[in-house]
Amino acid sequence: MKIKTACKTVFLVLMSVISLIPFYLMFSMSTFKSEMIFQGNPLIPSNYFIENLKTIFASNFVRSYLNSFIISVCAMFFSVLICSMAGYAMNVYQFRLKKVMNMFIMMTMMVPTQIGIIGYMIEMRNLRINNTLLPMIFVWLASGLGAYWMISFFKTSLPLELVESARIDGANELQIYFQIALPCIRPGILTLALLQFLWSWNSYMYPLVFVNKTENYTIPIFVKSLASAFRTDYGAQLAGLTLATIPVLIIFSFGAKSMIRGLTAGAVKG
Amino acid sequence: MNNSLKKYRFFWPVVFLAPFVICFFLFNLYPILYSFYMSTLDWAGYNQKVYVGFKNFISIFTKDKLFWKSVLNTLKIGLSGFPIALVLGLIFAALLANTKRFKNALQTMNFLPYITTPVAIGMIFTFIFEQHIGIFNKLIVAMGGKAINFIGSAKYAPFVIAFMIIWRNTGYFMTMYLAGITSISEDLYEAAKIDGASNLQCFFRITIPLLRPVTTFLTITSLIYMFQMFDEANLLFTNQTSSTVGGPSQSCLTIVWNFYNQAFGSNPRMGYASAMACVLFVIIAIVSVIGLRLMNGKED
Repeated sequence: MKIKTACKTVFLVLMSVISLIPFYLMFSMSTFKSEMIFQGNPLIPSNYFIENLKTIFASNFVRSYLNSFIISVCAMFFSVLICSMAGYAMNVYQFRLKKVMNMFIMMTMMVPTQIGIIGYMIEMRNLRINNTLLPMIFVWLASGLGAYWMISFFKTSLPLELVESARIDGANELQIYFQIALPCIRPGILTLALLQFLWSWNSYMYPLVFVNKTENYTIPIFVKSLASAFRTDYGAQLAGLTLATIPVLIIFSFGAKSMIRGLTAGAVKG
Repeated sequence: MNNSLKKYRFFWPVVFLAPFVICFFLFNLYPILYSFYMSTLDWAGYNQKVYVGFKNFISIFTKDKLFWKSVLNTLKIGLSGFPIALVLGLIFAALLANTKRFKNALQTMNFLPYITTPVAIGMIFTFIFEQHIGIFNKLIVAMGGKAINFIGSAKYAPFVIAFMIIWRNTGYFMTMYLAGITSISEDLYEAAKIDGASNLQCFFRITIPLLRPVTTFLTITSLIYMFQMFDEANLLFTNQTSSTVGGPSQSCLTIVWNFYNQAFGSNPRMGYASAMACVLFVIIAIVSVIGLRLMNGKED
């Protein structure tokens, strides 16, 4: 029995260390002068972090950070609103075509949005908004997975009697939705909000296609811009990435518990 | 009364569902349909559109070796990455389920890779596996071995990407499985123990079968993700000054990278790339339909 427990512990610890090493390397390497990263031992932090920060702040970093933030907050707020509205409707109302709608939402979950990117780019160009941040927000709004999750969250957490009695008390549907329904599924809302933030924050391909001027840089594009044929400033790049990880790290450490619980709701209850 | 009922049967459902449906059509479905239309064109994105019918598709299926190579690459990378991540995630979850101490800490630690920016993952993995300066190679040399050019060789590079996938997703899969396991009733295990079942038997006869919904969900979403794989492969090679599209002898060119390069590369062929997108769409649709069948099947 002792040996078994020991094996188990070793396995768990080993896996966790492997999980952490690249993450840790990002932090520790960001404290090196670019040319020094591979000279010394990258596991022990050096003293160049402030210099690296100076480099990126002298460049376009603040603007890029702000852009990423605007995109992610907007994508998060509106997609959670839109998806939870759909989830509410699918649970509270009986209407014709409800089955069709259900199938439709299942389908939206499977649609590989990314491969429509050419059509999307042309569409945005025709709307004359391809030089703005909007295309990088719009694409996240109708999240199929989000709607699907919201449906299953409302199913398990919103008693229909509550809605009924609120109606009898004279509340209108918008009041019921905002004041009764949404508070009932707070963990679900939080989870979806975290994920939407995470996805749009880490998104790489959409900025790659839509960012074509420095004012619109997002963090991934900014970091790429620090690389050139003559000298790639790895230290500065990593410092930028380290700072970019902070918001998700903060949000995650606050919401980890409810997120981990919420993540599975859809999958387990299916 | 009739009027108020109608309100709940038509007006409010429309109000609540309209934003989702409209946004989906405008920003997700319409672009794909437009890509279908564009697949019949020969067009660079700025010049005169030329209608070519099915010519793009015919080229893809008869002439374009690179496209099929990219399909094979994607399958090779994805299928050597995701199944391992799934199995590891499951084992991890099962072990962690009866761990009392440090459970939350371990879980959080292993979830961190999932929230890391792909750009950072690409860079770090380059630094770890690079031939001369990579940490992993330094370790090999220190132990008396010979440095291996992981990233520069067509033989190893796809597996570095597969490893990135494993590294990134294991913690996420574990989390999903862990919550699945938590929802399995303790009574089942106790009953099995009374009947003399071993831990291993419990795992194979109770845990795995009851986790099927989670497994199905993760498998389908992974497959859809796999076919759209781009970030990992592209980012592993962006920071190299001598970067070529697709990595060493294009061994890491995924379908979407290939598609991206055709559409937005130095010689844009938007019509042709759209045709590729359509083929990929059909592949994903088939996989999804099969997946949906499996998901719905468990409810009956």
